[in-house]
Formats: sequence, C-alpha cells, structure tokens
Amino acid sequence: MRRRTGFWAALAAPGTLWIVALFAVPFYAVAAVAFGYTDPVFNSPVPEWDPRYWDLTAFGEILDRSLTGDLRPVFLRTFLYVLLALAVCLLVGYPVAYYLARHAGRRRGLLLALILAPWWVNYITRMLAWLNLLQDDGYVNDLLLLTRLVDEPVRWLSGNPVTVVLALVYGYIPFFIVPLFSALDRIDERLLEAARDLGCSGRRAFWHVTLPLSRPGLMTAGAITALPMFGDYYTNSLVSGSPTTTMIANQIEFYLLGGTRKELGASLVLLLSALLMVLMAYYLVSSRRAEEAGA
Amino acid sequence: MPPSIDRRKFLLVSALAGVTAACGSDPTRRPSAASAVPLSRTDSPAALPLHDDVPMIANGLSPESGGTLKLLNYAEYISPDVVKKFGKEHGVEVEITTFTTMDEAIAKLRTAGTSFDVWFPTPDVIAKAAVGKLVQPLNKTYLGNLGNAWPQLQNPFYDEGSRYTVPYNAYTTGIGYRADKVKEVTGYDLLWNPAYNGKAYLIDDAREALALAMLKNGSIEINTEEPGKITKAGAWLTELVDLMNIKVGVTAYQYIPEGQATVHHCWSGDMVNAQSYLPKGVEADVLGYWYPDDNTGVVGTDAMAVPRGATKPVLAHLLINHLLDNAVAQENFSYTGYQPALTAITPEKMVTDEFVTEQLKSTIVTPEVYARSQQIFQISPAAEALWNDSWAQFKAGQ
Repeated sequence: MRRRTGFWAALAAPGTLWIVALFAVPFYAVAAVAFGYTDPVFNSPVPEWDPRYWDLTAFGEILDRSLTGDLRPVFLRTFLYVLLALAVCLLVGYPVAYYLARHAGRRRGLLLALILAPWWVNYITRMLAWLNLLQDDGYVNDLLLLTRLVDEPVRWLSGNPVTVVLALVYGYIPFFIVPLFSALDRIDERLLEAARDLGCSGRRAFWHVTLPLSRPGLMTAGAITALPMFGDYYTNSLVSGSPTTTMIANQIEFYLLGGTRKELGASLVLLLSALLMVLMAYYLVSSRRAEEAGA
Repeated sequence: MPPSIDRRKFLLVSALAGVTAACGSDPTRRPSAASAVPLSRTDSPAALPLHDDVPMIANGLSPESGGTLKLLNYAEYISPDVVKKFGKEHGVEVEITTFTTMDEAIAKLRTAGTSFDVWFPTPDVIAKAAVGKLVQPLNKTYLGNLGNAWPQLQNPFYDEGSRYTVPYNAYTTGIGYRADKVKEVTGYDLLWNPAYNGKAYLIDDAREALALAMLKNGSIEINTEEPGKITKAGAWLTELVDLMNIKVGVTAYQYIPEGQATVHHCWSGDMVNAQSYLPKGVEADVLGYWYPDDNTGVVGTDAMAVPRGATKPVLAHLLINHLLDNAVAQENFSYTGYQPALTAITPEKMVTDEFVTEQLKSTIVTPEVYARSQQIFQISPAAEALWNDSWAQFKAGQ
C-alpha cells in the first residue's frame, strides 16, 4: 500500500522537475537581479542569490512609480488594452466556437484547422504583411476609401491604439476559440433538449443552459489569452512604436534589453507577475467553484 | 490511512528543495560603488591600463592555421565575402557570433568557456573592457595598414597610443528624409514639423534621442551629468509626443524608402543602405540625409580589438590589418553601408564610384566632420541612470 502511494507520488517528479527548472529557478534569478547590485567596472547587474543581502531599493522605486509616477498610466493602459482585446475576442470568438461545436457537423475538423491556419505562417511574416496592408496607401485603406466607409485614409500605423488592440486580438484569438470550443463541445446535448422540452425558447435555453455551462471554458480561454497579451511587447512595437501606446511589457523590454538598469526591469517583471498571480488565483478559485457547482 | 507522502506534499517539498539549492551558492558581497573605469574625452584622452597577466603577442609569429576564427560583431556588420576569402587564404573557417547591444557583447566575452578572436566594440566600452581584462594589447608590428586610418584615429582619445584597438567604421547621426515629400530641409526642425505628424521617428536609444533634443535646442553638452539638463532634454522630447505623434525605431534604412517614415532621426549608414531597400518604381533620388555643417552634429566610430581569450591571436591581428587595407575596406563598405574610417574614402570618390547618390554625399564622413562634431562619450553610471530615466519617462508617454 505504502509503496504504491510512493509510486504515484513519484509520477509527479517530471512535472516538478519541469516547474523547478523552467519556472522556480528562472523566477528566483529574476528576483536575484531585482534585489541585486551593479558591477562597478562593467556597470552590469550582478544577481544577489542570498536573500539576507537583498536590496529592495529598485523594487521600491518601481512600486512607487507604478502607484503614483510615470508607470501608473502605463499599467492602466495595459489593463485597458488587454480588457478591450478580450472583449473583442469574446464577441468574435464565442459565435465562432459555438458554431464549430454545435452546427459545423462534419466540417468542424476542417474549420478548426482553418482557424489555426495563420499559425502555419511565421509570426513576424504575418505581422509584416499586416504592416504593408495597413499603410496609409495600403490595401485596407484602399478598400475603406472605395466603399466610402471613410473619407480619408485611416492612420493605422501612426501610434493608433485601435490597431494595437486589434493586433493583440489577431495574435491571440485562436487561443481563445480552441478551449472555448472544447468546453462547448462537452456540453451534454440532452440538457438542451430537456430545456426545450420544459418550454424554453432557443434563446432562453442558450441563456440558462449553454452560457452558464460554458463559463469554465470562457474563464480558461480568457486566462490563456490574457496572460500572453500582458507579456507581449513585440506586437505593440511593430504596429505602433509610439510612446502613447506603450504597454508594461514594452517598459520591461526597455529596461532589460537596453541601458544599464536591469534591476528596474527585473523589479517590473516581479510586480507584473504578482498582479497576474492575483488574476490567476481568482481564475483558480472561481473555476473550482464552478466545478463544485457542476458536481 | 497510512502516513505517506502524497503528491501535493511531494510537489511542495521538491519546490522548496529547488529554492534552497539556488540560495546555497557562494554569496557574493557588494563591492564598493566607485567606478574604476577612466572616462576619456577628446580633450582629456585616456591611456588604458596594461596588465602583467594580459600580455601582447610576440613579434614575427606565423599565423595559426586550421580550425575556426571566431568574430564577435553586430549582425551584418562585416562582409561575408571578405571574411570568407580571408579564411580561405589562411586555411581556417570563419564564424561570426552576433550581438545587438554592447552590454550583450560584454556578457558574451565574460561567459566562461567562450573565446573570440576579433571583437568590434564602440569607444564607450573599450575602457571597461581594458580595465576588466577582456581584451589584449595589440602588437602594432602586425598592423602596417593602420597608417591608412584617419590621423585622429591612429592615436584616438579613447585609447591613447592605440594600445587595445584600431578604428573600424565611422558614421554620423542626422536626419534621413523623403526628398519627394519634404519641401524645405530645415535641419533638426524637420522632426518638430507637424506636417510630418505620424511619419516621424527617433532613434530608439536614450543617448542619441536626448542628445538630439539638446542639439536642436542649441546645447552641445550631450555628455552632461547635470540632472537639470537631462530632465530638460526629456521635456523637449516629450513635446514630440503630442506635436508629432512621434515614434521610435532603428529601421530608417527600410522605413524611409518604403514610405512609412517621412523624416527619421538616423545614422548615416542607414541612408546608404536605404538605397538597396527601394521598392520597385521608387528612384534613389527620393532619399535625402541632412547633417549639420556646424558643430551641432553627432559623430561616432567603432573599433576592432582582440579579446584576451583569443585562440588565434596572430591571425586576428592579420584580419584586422586586412580590414584596414583600402581596397578590402571599400569592398566591406559596399556590404555594410557603414564606411571605414580611412583617408582614402572621400565623399567625392564615393559618388564617382556610385556608392552613394549625389544627394546622399552628406552621408560620407570625413576627418574634418569628425573633428568639428560632438561625440557621445561614456558617462558615470549614476549619470547614465539619469539619462535612462528621462528616456524611460518619454517612452512611457509622459
């Protein structure tokens, strides 16, 4: 009996090793840089591995600037963009996932493959293609002008927040659709039939049965989509590059890739992680509640 | 139930074990804060320290053969043909490792177990590389072509007596523009002209961009350590956010010929390279480059050095000398777009040889331009932090 339990526990070893090697150690290294010091000759960060000697000045500075200083609007802007992008993902992604799960029939495999098709093309190539399409004299503006939707070319690439949000949506929406699709697909059709038998209209059956049952799927889709959006700096640099659309990951990139104040970048990583962990904790608690309610 | 270690506990214990193992490494203590690196200036040159344990190679050695000669350079900053031919001649493979910032280059040089034979540093990091024993002194008996270099750079302020380095390329920082869309070339004001709103770019670099703001406003103190002046420059840059919807980037060589930028703060080499990025049907005469003809411009150079750990130091000296050869240097220039700092390269010659259009003659740097211009020097770490802070605030959209 005892040996068997040890055996099952040991099955967690590969996963544990994975988490330690690819999360705990790198995370600790980031903390060591954030709380470390600077080499006087090379002016480069020296990680401090021993917590007894950690220096909290840089983290304090970042915290202060995030609460009251220049980083505050950047944080607010980041949350706003991600929230808007999620809303668009929901508006576009839910009907698509619903159609795939309920009405696509035999074509669903093909349609799912098509949704993932852009992924066959390398990310940078896709984004550069968009840069060409969105030029002032590009095809998108040609089309808009031709259909008289606008009177003069839209300045998509001149630091336009709409472009940034749409680019985020474009980049991550398959991550939203796929988990949502599998959640919708798992809903027992007999529950819907029962609802109809009991006199629900199609709309009410959706509202009272499908939507509540797809909530865990929505939560997962939202979490999987939002997390990389918070960390994405490249999409933003490509389609905007303007200080007016700077997101928090752009500032992390700025501190970590350029200049000499890597401890500030590392502190910013820690702060962003802490915020995301709060969101993740909320996700875990509420999905557990949904599971319990379901059971 | 028997007391047994369940999965959850196992996960917790192993996670903690990982963290304690990471803590257990030898604790390094904080060294004193004072910087040990001399800050060289054009008017106060620095002779870099020599170390007994970092000797130069002896005279008259024959070059190493076989194996791989390793270069550490920016991407696309040396002609593959030139190095391939050199390697063939000496019976070695040549391998180029690239970096994007000098910090990254230094990190690579400091990584235990790596060795490079030739490194292409900028003047602002040469002193710390010498003090930190990352480079070895050069033996000038192998470098007969050093006489081809600009006179000022045969004995440069940042490395008096060329102890550790010889010059590689030179460039200026100016403004690239679309000659077909800009009516009047008004110098730095081009970037403050709302006619180009949304089509104006700054170089994505703290020192370059803040220096631009200072020069535009008539101050040539682009290495100042005074907090007030640095903050002021940050405020001048911030004007551009609303006025110009300004953007930052380092791809002027692409954005100007393709039309995404009308005015772009850029390096002279960007505009030389822009000639090869013209879309079909766009002529080279749409490309323009402005550089001030007084002392309010920024000039820069970079250098070649032999890292301390080089396994082929003699061959490294030979390659450096090879790159200082006039003909080889010009071939290399045709690939990189950044001109070698050699006396033989003149604006007139480059136009005649069809390296650049008449309109881009201003991209070619001369020793006179070098002498009258400003340079971005290494500053103290504390001041560097201030420059970075101002730039960070600008980038946050403040």
